[in-house]
Amino acid sequence: MTDDRTTLDDATFKQELTALIPHLRAFARSLCRDASLADDLAQDAMLKAWNARESFVAGTNMKAWAFTILRNAFYSEKRRSWRRQPLDPEVAEATLVSNSNPADALELLALRNALTLLPVDQKEALILVGAGGMAYEEAAEICGCAVGTIKSRVSRARKAVIEILESNSTGYNSDSGMSAEKAFDDIMMQADEIARAPTS
Amino acid sequence: MNKKKQPGQQKSDADLKRRGAKIGDQLRRIYEDVAKEEVPDEFLKLLEEADKKKSSKPSTSDE
Repeated sequence: MTDDRTTLDDATFKQELTALIPHLRAFARSLCRDASLADDLAQDAMLKAWNARESFVAGTNMKAWAFTILRNAFYSEKRRSWRRQPLDPEVAEATLVSNSNPADALELLALRNALTLLPVDQKEALILVGAGGMAYEEAAEICGCAVGTIKSRVSRARKAVIEILESNSTGYNSDSGMSAEKAFDDIMMQADEIARAPTS
Repeated sequence: MNKKKQPGQQKSDADLKRRGAKIGDQLRRIYEDVAKEEVPDEFLKLLEEADKKKSSKPSTSDE
């Protein structure tokens, strides 16, 4: 299985990139709430990744690599329309319709709204680690900063979101948080472990 | 003016943690709801087109 080349052949690259499309879409949708703009962004990132396939080093983390491309596209000067979008009514409606529990759906919308109020560096850290389940280390690679920076951004973002939601007093007090607590702790613990593991 | 302090309502660390936990769960849903969607055909079409473009170089005429 070992050969000299550090790049993947096109067919393998294409296959692996295709498998990442759902994640590119989910990351894009978390960054910009307008669903069609998000898909534009995800498509753009996918094609950029394809065109840059020769710079991808086989055996490294393609997800982090592709997310970096998507993130760069998101921040690129030309495409500012991807940022600062008001809540897309279709996303709002889809969120409401897809949930059998209307209270849950409203909370999800409140959370989406709260996310848009965060400084963008905190928001992306929270999305990558909290939503995308990435290790702190992967998130740091994607954002081009230190692992500790990501950790503190995630932590500040969580606090800020809680404050925003509480100040809006949208009844964010329902009592079903216990299993969720476990889930979240699991994510954070996992991320902590991975982040702590020696890498070099 | 004369609201009584409710002992159960103070923001303890545990309370904060629990709210954070719930938010974590919901964040994952926001992400996973999209990740679970079927990939729109347009994505696959675009990738196919890009792949074809690259293989139809002007110099190669093997058809």
